[in-house]
Amino acid sequence: MTPLLLGILAVVLAGPVPSVLGRVGAFTSVPRAAVVLWQAVALAAVLSAVGSGLALALRLVTMSGRAGGWALGPFRIGAHLLVLALTVTVLARLSWVLITNARTLRAIRRRHRSLVDVAGTTAPNPTGTPAAVLVLHHDVPTAYCVPALRASRVVVSDGAIARLDAVELDAVLTHENAHLRARHDLVIEVFTALWIAFPRGVRSRIALDQVRNLLEMEADDDAVRLVGAVPMARALVALSIGSSDRSSHASVAPAGVDDLAGHATSQVLRRVERLAGAGTRRAARPVLAAAVYLTAVVVMVVPTVTIALPWLRAAWRVVG
Amino acid sequence: MRQRSKVPTWRRPHTLPDVVNRLGELEREVMNELWSAPSPMLVRDVHAALSRDRDLAYTTVMTVLERLARKRMVERDLDGRAYRYRPAQTKDALVAEAMSDALDGAGALRSEALVRFVDGITSTDAQALREALARVEAGSRATADTPPGGPTRP
Repeated sequence: MTPLLLGILAVVLAGPVPSVLGRVGAFTSVPRAAVVLWQAVALAAVLSAVGSGLALALRLVTMSGRAGGWALGPFRIGAHLLVLALTVTVLARLSWVLITNARTLRAIRRRHRSLVDVAGTTAPNPTGTPAAVLVLHHDVPTAYCVPALRASRVVVSDGAIARLDAVELDAVLTHENAHLRARHDLVIEVFTALWIAFPRGVRSRIALDQVRNLLEMEADDDAVRLVGAVPMARALVALSIGSSDRSSHASVAPAGVDDLAGHATSQVLRRVERLAGAGTRRAARPVLAAAVYLTAVVVMVVPTVTIALPWLRAAWRVVG
Repeated sequence: MRQRSKVPTWRRPHTLPDVVNRLGELEREVMNELWSAPSPMLVRDVHAALSRDRDLAYTTVMTVLERLARKRMVERDLDGRAYRYRPAQTKDALVAEAMSDALDGAGALRSEALVRFVDGITSTDAQALREALARVEAGSRATADTPPGGPTRP
């Protein structure tokens, strides 16, 4: 019974639950708590899948030892082995994707860092975090960060600086520093790997997309705390509208750019509208955050206590 | 009470924060020397140029040049017994390559490697954005505790 329950739980947490969570608009008011909840759901899904596999393995082992041999028919044994194989495959893919993606990402960042370190000009980081700030002398406005354990960078182009006043620039730097300090890139790496590792019929891209949006909003909030909503919103608008004069860049046309344009536009729009105070009223936010954190705890604890622990105890008795 | 940051000194000459990588800083200075030189330079020429206002070990300059060669930022040719160094690409070419990385970011991992402030591919909704911005500004004017945003634009 346990392997079946855990298996169902894993599937539910991988697909249907993200679909439901993805429609909860209120999360944008408490992005940090929401990301914690998403992480709890993802972790619970992985643990359920692992637990299901372990329970199956144990059952197969104990069955083979029982007097009378394989008490269950070959069909059910076959089904057990199939699910076990799937579990092992998912875990193997997860590990593989994590390792190879990490290597590729770090190589890309290392190369880019050597480019900007040499071709850029240093500037102070007024928000006071250790990341070095570099200015690229180019008219196209852009601002981004290069995450790393110790050699992170924030890069801003001349074109971007020209479009922002001093406080708006502060907002941009604070936003990027927030990403670096909280290592949001690692969270994205994990969710990307999970999305790739779980089989196609089961997984959902919603978790990855939602977490991406929420992390941007969390960084926006950091900037708002320092400089206020207006400069932050102005910075968003200045840098996204400004970039549309990129028609001279012949190389720019990734596949599906219209999809990307539509999606990206609505993302910026959502971020600006959010700053207009749309969503949960400020007074209610701590309560909402607490509720979300509590849900995260429930998601982690309830399956563990109701399914996994009793099974673990039984397994211990069998094995020990 | 919302804290306001001081206006940063973007337009004035700055002092480098301590945490800026010293070696990276040297790499930049060496490259700038090579870019402004009319012809390939010997290590001792680079060292002479850089140590005009400070103490810099010859071996340090040599190490930096070797690192840059390994990163393929500079190329070198043997001239007698010493190497002459020259930049592998112009500074503009490097800037263009960096910008290309940042903007084009096509391919799933490339767009994940650099975390952009905003995905600036905006085609049609400039108007909607401006309207939303107006709402943010109106909202903040309505709240008494927020003074009107920022110093005047240049």
